[in-house]
Amino acid sequence: MDYIDYYKILDLKKDATTEDIKKAYRKLARKHHPDLNPNNEEANKKFQQINEANEVLSDPEKRKKYDKYGKDWQHADQLDAQQQQKRQYQSQGGGYGGNSYSGGFGGDDFSDFFSSMFGGGGRSSRNSPFKGQDYNADLQLNLLDAYTTHKQTLTVNGKQVRITIPAGVENGQKIKLPGYGAPGVNNGPPGDLYIKFNITDHPRFKRKGNDIYIQEEIDVYTAILGGEKIVETLNGKVKLKVPEGTQPDATLRLKGKGFPLYKKENQFGDLYIKWQVKLPTNLNVEQKELFEKLSKF
Amino acid sequence: METNLIPVEDICAYHHVEINFIQSLENFGLIHTTVKKQSLFLPVDELTKLEQYLRLAHDLEINLEGIHAVSHLLNQLQNMQEEITALQNELNYYKQLNQHH
Repeated sequence: MDYIDYYKILDLKKDATTEDIKKAYRKLARKHHPDLNPNNEEANKKFQQINEANEVLSDPEKRKKYDKYGKDWQHADQLDAQQQQKRQYQSQGGGYGGNSYSGGFGGDDFSDFFSSMFGGGGRSSRNSPFKGQDYNADLQLNLLDAYTTHKQTLTVNGKQVRITIPAGVENGQKIKLPGYGAPGVNNGPPGDLYIKFNITDHPRFKRKGNDIYIQEEIDVYTAILGGEKIVETLNGKVKLKVPEGTQPDATLRLKGKGFPLYKKENQFGDLYIKWQVKLPTNLNVEQKELFEKLSKF
Repeated sequence: METNLIPVEDICAYHHVEINFIQSLENFGLIHTTVKKQSLFLPVDELTKLEQYLRLAHDLEINLEGIHAVSHLLNQLQNMQEEITALQNELNYYKQLNQHH
């Protein structure tokens, strides 16, 4: 556990007045407040540090203890005991009471350093209810997972949370689960859980919005003469007619065979199939002669 | 009483806030309340927004005009973030196509 320089966090000098502390806190809080920095974990962390620094420095008693021990805070109890002994030697009685910082602050968004020096988690001074901290979690899905609505169990801060993931979620999309964050402070409501979906690319199916794009190989004879081709889509195989004279890179659209629309039942994007015409290689003598004949027409 | 409506009186007692403040937020178009049997109610899905405004007022001492401006900018920010995600996904599609060729 490292020593935390609260003055540095608030960009203050050691002799800062109460007014200076208040001003510095307000200035930094306006910059890093989580409500002004949605989905910004860095700002959230910074805001907690600022709050903690303010909690200590704006309270004369806490500030006194913090200033007194500074970097020796870990030995604060020992130093207290030594000083008490000294006093007892110097004068009989007069027992040193010391500063008693009991816990009971509730909440868990203050550093270990703070808890170890002052006990509890802070925010007692205002004694008003606070919403619990919001949690953020990343969830990796593959494209086929995102194709269907399914349930998944996540472990968030040691708790098991079972969620339903609607079909059609986008890569980078965030959903909010109200009340699944940290418990509130002083009877405040619990925070929320934000889940961000990271959807991995699929080697065959390429997604653009709700449409799916694939490339399908056909031989030159099917391209020229036409024929049938069985193509695998996201929900099974389909038999397609390849028209006579299909050009390389020609694209076919299958309406409603793409990706499901998020939270819109029975609505789907389209599937685009680009025909890749594969030319024959290593022709034998007879084949070459036939192509030569063809080329003379 | 409908379960998705919260008495504004309860919210005021819980958050130690004057009813005038909530009415002013409504006047600014920031939240929507409903009157039922001469009592004021807040729909549950408006609560998160209201609590955010209360935090802005309490933690940062932002006045109503400021909250109005902040709310507008946050909406813009959210729209832009959604647009960036959509563009990133589209860009990823073209990157995959390039890798394929």
